Amino acid sequence: MSYLSQYEYYENGGNAPEDANWGSYQYVSLKDIVVNYQLMYSGNHSLINNEERYKILFHAKRAIQELNYDAFKEVKVLQLTVSEELRFVLPSDYVNWVRISYYNDGVIRPMVENVQVNSAKAYLQANDARILFDQDGKALQPEYSPLDFTRITGQQPSIYLNSLSPYNGLLGYEYEGCWYFDFAVGARYGLNTETANANPTFRIDKKAGVINFDSTMADESCILEYVSDGMEGGDDTQVTVNKLFEDYVYAYISYQILNSKLGVQEYVVNRARKAKSALLRNAKIRLSNIHPGRLLMNLRGRDKWIK
Amino acid sequence: MINDIRNTVLAVLNKNNYGYISPQDFNLYAQQAQMDLFEDYFYAYNYQVNKENQRTSGTGYADIKKGYVEVIDFFSVTTALSQVGANLDKFFLPSISTTGSDYYLINKIFTGSTELERIEQSKILLLNSSPLTAPSTMFPAYTTEASTATIYPTPAAAQTVNCQYIRYPKAPKWTYVDLGTNNEPVFDQTQPDYQDFELFPDDATDLTMKILQYAGVSIREASVVQYAGAEEATEINSEK
Repeated sequence: MSYLSQYEYYENGGNAPEDANWGSYQYVSLKDIVVNYQLMYSGNHSLINNEERYKILFHAKRAIQELNYDAFKEVKVLQLTVSEELRFVLPSDYVNWVRISYYNDGVIRPMVENVQVNSAKAYLQANDARILFDQDGKALQPEYSPLDFTRITGQQPSIYLNSLSPYNGLLGYEYEGCWYFDFAVGARYGLNTETANANPTFRIDKKAGVINFDSTMADESCILEYVSDGMEGGDDTQVTVNKLFEDYVYAYISYQILNSKLGVQEYVVNRARKAKSALLRNAKIRLSNIHPGRLLMNLRGRDKWIK
Repeated sequence: MINDIRNTVLAVLNKNNYGYISPQDFNLYAQQAQMDLFEDYFYAYNYQVNKENQRTSGTGYADIKKGYVEVIDFFSVTTALSQVGANLDKFFLPSISTTGSDYYLINKIFTGSTELERIEQSKILLLNSSPLTAPSTMFPAYTTEASTATIYPTPAAAQTVNCQYIRYPKAPKWTYVDLGTNNEPVFDQTQPDYQDFELFPDDATDLTMKILQYAGVSIREASVVQYAGAEEATEINSEK
């Protein structure tokens, strides 16, 4: 791709959307990666020769996918309202979650993942607990399992210190004639820190492709921070890679091709593997953005008096 | 060049009264010889690439490969392909009826500045099945079958699909007028069907030797075949 003029960059050459090219200089497109690789690393006098373009494309995309999982630190954010069924369908390009938050009164409250199962599949059963089948031999299923039903109808208590806790609002400790459970009266020994959170909880059902929440999240706003694989829904024109990782992608392609090619000497494969690993480390360090200015702010804490 | 070569061939053949070849026979042998040498260009090019990889080849005037590239590129043609009926994804491969010349090999098919990748028939279904490798408008592909190319994904209507290919050299034809006095045909390059050799002048010796070999076989003169064969081998070795 050729370089953009300032007008094309800032205003997309007068076309919509205006922000199409903002920040684009940080990235190199998938097409550039493949074309550059074919030109520079593949040919009659190169280690890589007579390889089909689709193989180069495949390995380039695999490299970008791997980078998106952690090294890129490019987190996508999606805010949706949780349905009455307490579900949040995972985004179409979801691969893994980073953080799930509850947005309430203008405040983002990070939620904790429930350590307990909150959703299940169930079969209809007769009085003697035998499973019921239809005429095709498939087990009959209810709309909701008892676990889901109690959760969706708000009857499922929580082990977390939120409003679903069985002790929430109940009298507990006797103090001057009254019983309290969830009021901090004096020291609170034996608190289970794993469940000590007052926000709603969630659990991700990966196979079903949904996030299941407890009943306090019904009709509430949820913010999902997640990572994708960078494939942009299969639109190759949108697939990009940060320039800091450009050399790594070339090295990754070379390594993968050499590693799977017949008759390549082991030292050549090893050289390619080391080059790939070293370039990944370099790129990660570059992207980590350790700025002297930030270190300075942290180090200023040295002068604080510890009381 | 064709008349010089014919004169040389006849001179060699007549030296010991070996015999005579008619213009018709000469044209046939000439075509055969040209095709032989034309195909040899590609093997010679590959040989030079290997020599470069072995670091036994030089640059500048010692870059023999460059010469072969120039000769092969002389036969390069870039032209638009014709769509097969109403099928947006099918195009006729180059041929005399569609592009004016048959192709020896297709170097690339492209739309705009995007090159299509040739995919083997055995791979295209697998390629289409994988989300990572499925052909897209950015990375399109094509397969060939008989005289047509199928393009993936189907291009938009009215999109021009171009092809750059290496055509076969035109069949040489030594044309003549018959003066009638001694029935000796006289060369006449003004005839409409006249066609000189398309190979470069430095191949004249090779062409002569090859035609002599065919002519020697034709007139059953083993010594001519042996002489021409040995000369050709010497020529080939000297070029390595």
